[in-house]
Amino acid sequence: MTMLADLMASQIVRTVLVGAAMLGAISGMLGAFAVLRRQSLLGDALAHAALPGVCLGFLVAGARDLGSILAGAFLTGSLAALAMMLITRTTRLKTDAALGIVLSVFFAVGVVLLTHVQATGGAASAGLASFLFGQAAAILVSDLWIMGGIGLVALGVVLALWKEFKLVSFDADFARAQGFPVTMLEAMLTIMVALAIVVGLQLVGVVLMVALLIAPAAAARQWTNRLGMMVALSALIGAGSGAAGALISATTRGLATGPVVVLVATAAVLVSLALAPGRGLVWQALAARRARARISDGRILAAMQGLAEAHDDPHYPAEQGMLGAALGKAPAPGQFDALKRRGLIRAVTHAPEATPHWQLTPAGQRAARATGTDTGDKT
Amino acid sequence: MRDDTLHEPDQALHVEDLTVSYGAAPALWDIDLDIPPGVMCAIVGPNGAGKSTLIKAALGLVRPVAGHVRFLGHEIGAMRGRIGYVPQRHSVDWDFPTTARDVVEMGLYRSLGWFRRPGRDARARAMAALAELGMQDYADRQISQLSGGQQQRVFLARALVQDAPILVLDEPLAGVDASTEAIIIDLLKRLRDSGRTVIVVHHDLTTVQSYFDWMVMLNVRIIAQGPVREVYTPENLRAAYGRQLAMIAVPEGGAA
Repeated sequence: MTMLADLMASQIVRTVLVGAAMLGAISGMLGAFAVLRRQSLLGDALAHAALPGVCLGFLVAGARDLGSILAGAFLTGSLAALAMMLITRTTRLKTDAALGIVLSVFFAVGVVLLTHVQATGGAASAGLASFLFGQAAAILVSDLWIMGGIGLVALGVVLALWKEFKLVSFDADFARAQGFPVTMLEAMLTIMVALAIVVGLQLVGVVLMVALLIAPAAAARQWTNRLGMMVALSALIGAGSGAAGALISATTRGLATGPVVVLVATAAVLVSLALAPGRGLVWQALAARRARARISDGRILAAMQGLAEAHDDPHYPAEQGMLGAALGKAPAPGQFDALKRRGLIRAVTHAPEATPHWQLTPAGQRAARATGTDTGDKT
Repeated sequence: MRDDTLHEPDQALHVEDLTVSYGAAPALWDIDLDIPPGVMCAIVGPNGAGKSTLIKAALGLVRPVAGHVRFLGHEIGAMRGRIGYVPQRHSVDWDFPTTARDVVEMGLYRSLGWFRRPGRDARARAMAALAELGMQDYADRQISQLSGGQQQRVFLARALVQDAPILVLDEPLAGVDASTEAIIIDLLKRLRDSGRTVIVVHHDLTTVQSYFDWMVMLNVRIIAQGPVREVYTPENLRAAYGRQLAMIAVPEGGAA
């Protein structure tokens, strides 16, 4: 705990921590809509397309002025979104191809500009490369105010247009038929994603930014079936990942904050994919096992019923080994005991054989018949 | 007292010269169409005939290259909210984190207006619409946990809750079980009998005669339109379906 207190005493660590948490919350909230609208990769294209804007902003301002750099990033990001919309509307290319083209072309232009600026721009341009992977330590307290302002605006817009955003995300055609300005609402969501990306550039960089949009939303989706809960949880997971990543990287020299934040968010996704009730892999494996066990109980009873019918004797004593052969695989011995405890079968002897034999009880006969009709109904 | 700004106000749906084109080949060519109020109308035709395109163009979801559309004499812009639209079930992601009742409440969003959230009244109306379709017990289910037929009923409830005079449904019976089909058809007939106009894109020719009283036969162009007993003839079916007709029940001895 004293280590934590020591860390928090540092102004830089505090600033980075708050900044990373705010960025996580903003991108988590907006990323939830992007993921539900299947636009998560649009975020990736926008982020990569911000790089030429960063360089242009530097060239125009002639110095490492954050305002003009972020304005440039927002400009080229928006240009990329526009280019993609034009490509998908006017050509036969599908969205994924358009994304790939726009992302790589804008990023290539960005890298060309970056290397050119670095070769000619002198000492001031040295820091520009940090926008590739982010440089948390460069964050200033004044930047936090900008982030907080953008976060509050985004939150206000999402709350005010909640039902409209929900409708557009779920069923845009229906929304359009109802007369909602769907194109405008979708553009607002995209613009807010672009804003979140611009905010995150300093901290996480253009290459990894998309992870902060997708990961919290993907993790949150596992835990809830309500949109409101998902968006809130996504913001919370994003904020937690940001804070945790900032703390982890502060404890060890040479751990870049941005990538660590991304790794923490990814860990949250993995845990959620595995463990979330209902949708998690572990949960589903357990449910599948329970279902298998139930079916094989039913199959044992059905096999015994079949043998009884074949011998025209409702009390036919079925030999345990014979049941195994009839089912293709011997059931675990404990399973017969379990059926016995449930009063569905009883153990009987069949001299001179000394092997275990089982007989259906009246309850077992009813259960076997119910199983039979159950499977017959499943169409 | 007639409003002179209206065009063909005596038709629930009036379509004139409508042409829609995706790329080179027209999807709809020079469609002239009138559906009177108070009928239950099937739009039938082979795959690729432009059935869905026709209703999407009528609703303003697809931009036509020519022609105009009127609902009860009005342009579509003036009729928003007074047309209940049921899109194809597969047009949305059913894994979306929401419940059946929530989806039905979406049908009320327009009437709520900007910034307002659905409240107790919206909830009650959504429940009533779900109950009409026998879905009241599934109101709080996540929508991916519903069967295909139940999802279709939720979609229909979302249109029903608007209490609109015109309903437009895109293949509401595709891939649903027999009991859902019976429930949906029964409800649509009741809506028709209460004076509403029901327009359905339909794919099953064998049930057209028993379910519908009006029909439009389409294959890029209009093949025939009018009361089912006049339109459902071997000649028209052959004109619409051509060689595919061998698969389909043909009415015996001309007009039924």
